[in-house]
Amino acid sequence: MSDVRAELTASVFKVEVAVGDQVQEGQPLLVLESMKMEIPVVAPRAGVVGEVLASEGEVVDEGAVVVRLAD
Amino acid sequence: MSHVWSDEIEEISRRLRMAELLGGEEKIRRQHDAGRSTVRERISELLDAGSFEEVGALAGFATVADDGSTVSVMPANFVFGLGSIDGRRVALGADDFTIRGGAADASIMAKQVDSERMAGAMRVPLVRLVEGTGGGGSVRMIEDAGYTYVPANPGWDSVVENLSLVPVVAACMGPVAGLGSGRVVMSHFSVLIESIAQMFVAGPAVVRHATGEALDKEQLGGAEVHRRSGAIDRIVPDEKAALQAIRDFLSFLPSSVYELPPVIAGAEPATSADTLADVVPRNRRQPYRLRAILDAIFDAGSNFEYAGYGASVYTGLARLDGHPVGVIATDPYKGATMTPNGADALTRLVDLCETFHLPIVSLTDQSGMMIGLQAEKTASIRRGARAVVAAYQARVPMAEIIVRRVFGVGGAGQINRHRYNRQWAWPSGDWGSLPVEGGVEAAYRADLEASDDPEALMATIHQRLEVARSPFRTAERYGVQDLIDPRRSRELLTRWVRDAYRVLPELVGPPSFGTRP
Repeated sequence: MSDVRAELTASVFKVEVAVGDQVQEGQPLLVLESMKMEIPVVAPRAGVVGEVLASEGEVVDEGAVVVRLAD
Repeated sequence: MSHVWSDEIEEISRRLRMAELLGGEEKIRRQHDAGRSTVRERISELLDAGSFEEVGALAGFATVADDGSTVSVMPANFVFGLGSIDGRRVALGADDFTIRGGAADASIMAKQVDSERMAGAMRVPLVRLVEGTGGGGSVRMIEDAGYTYVPANPGWDSVVENLSLVPVVAACMGPVAGLGSGRVVMSHFSVLIESIAQMFVAGPAVVRHATGEALDKEQLGGAEVHRRSGAIDRIVPDEKAALQAIRDFLSFLPSSVYELPPVIAGAEPATSADTLADVVPRNRRQPYRLRAILDAIFDAGSNFEYAGYGASVYTGLARLDGHPVGVIATDPYKGATMTPNGADALTRLVDLCETFHLPIVSLTDQSGMMIGLQAEKTASIRRGARAVVAAYQARVPMAEIIVRRVFGVGGAGQINRHRYNRQWAWPSGDWGSLPVEGGVEAAYRADLEASDDPEALMATIHQRLEVARSPFRTAERYGVQDLIDPRRSRELLTRWVRDAYRVLPELVGPPSFGTRP
């Protein structure tokens, strides 16, 4: 498992993946919204989504783990 | 053949051999088992082969026999001297963890002090490879000495002065505490090795006793702490990367404030300028890839990321046709505003450029300082204002390409807009005292409330504002020097940087202020 963190405090605009999805490196996992900008959180490596810890509309803190990737 | 001084000459060799033994085989094995090299291995890896000229190798702690003869000498656990990196001279001071865990009381403090003095006096960059504990040693020393003293940080007159004199680079090569941490952050660029190195004011045992917090050294001062703390500029995966980052950083800087940055042969950018005509999405809500812009503007392989903790504030060094410059930009994938840490990163980069005479290129996309309770609690406005002051105190030439947004106090002050700077804007440029989005309801509340069809009115207002915010309108009023085809960016900057370098010789000497970490 590896942690994917939010780079900034923002609200969750869209969740693009679900548990069990196979993702590629660089693929958007979710999209945050701050200051009218959409800021994707992308997969740092290829893997399978093990856990999604954020839901749409929720506010996540800078550095918060939002997705856990399994191998 | 025997000489008059043969015995002493042989004794010098014997003692130099003892200095090479460090803390002994067992300690060296433990150092290797922990995934760390010895001080001598690091020096060989960092410096050009055969270039190291050590100073003070014979200093140490002697074991003396009853007849007064010296049986052995345990070397001081601080090794320093002069050497070369890519043919350029540097001073290097490195802790030896295999002797008393790098504790400063076994370092022979005068050596550390002299390493600082040497760098300043010889006008060469200083590299500190830090792997040790504080300056105070252990409490046991108080009993040994029989007295205590009012502390002064050893050599800090030189340590402070060097920041305004020569490039100083420091690396955390293992656990680092107290004075060691001070030596790391009193630098222009610092690195920490992930999972191998930790940095803290005081280590876990002292913290547990003082505050009750039970944390291991990784939790207290490891990479995850310092990736965002702002205390360390760069987190690196291993020792090799740490030493490479040091070499790369120094390649952009002059040996001291009394010289100009080293210009080398230029290289074409890694990617075609055509990218720049598409890279910023028309939809203002969508991010762009900063890397694509950097790769199409600066010399291939020259983009060096400086402070890693700046979030969306990208600070870097790069070359334009071989000429070193500082780079300020925005990575929209890491945030939308200038965080307090981002402001600190900006201050540090601009100060670095002013100190060592690097012209600054701003690829401006700045929506202003971070807002919200967390931002206010961490002094968003003061730390942002400090970055603005840095930009105004800098005398080096600046050029700006407005990539996208310029809003707020932060956007207004990213470069000094009260003096001559060369300025170009891309058609994606979007600026104002505040962004149109979100401001419409407040500005037109009365009109909207009075309207039968507020939604339609809102759409009409947006349409009118969209016309007024066109960058062409600003260009008509000379509110921006030039609107350009983004594909011309490198060509224009390359011409500018040659002009900028003609101005630099008169800036040679100390910076406009005393540099602080």
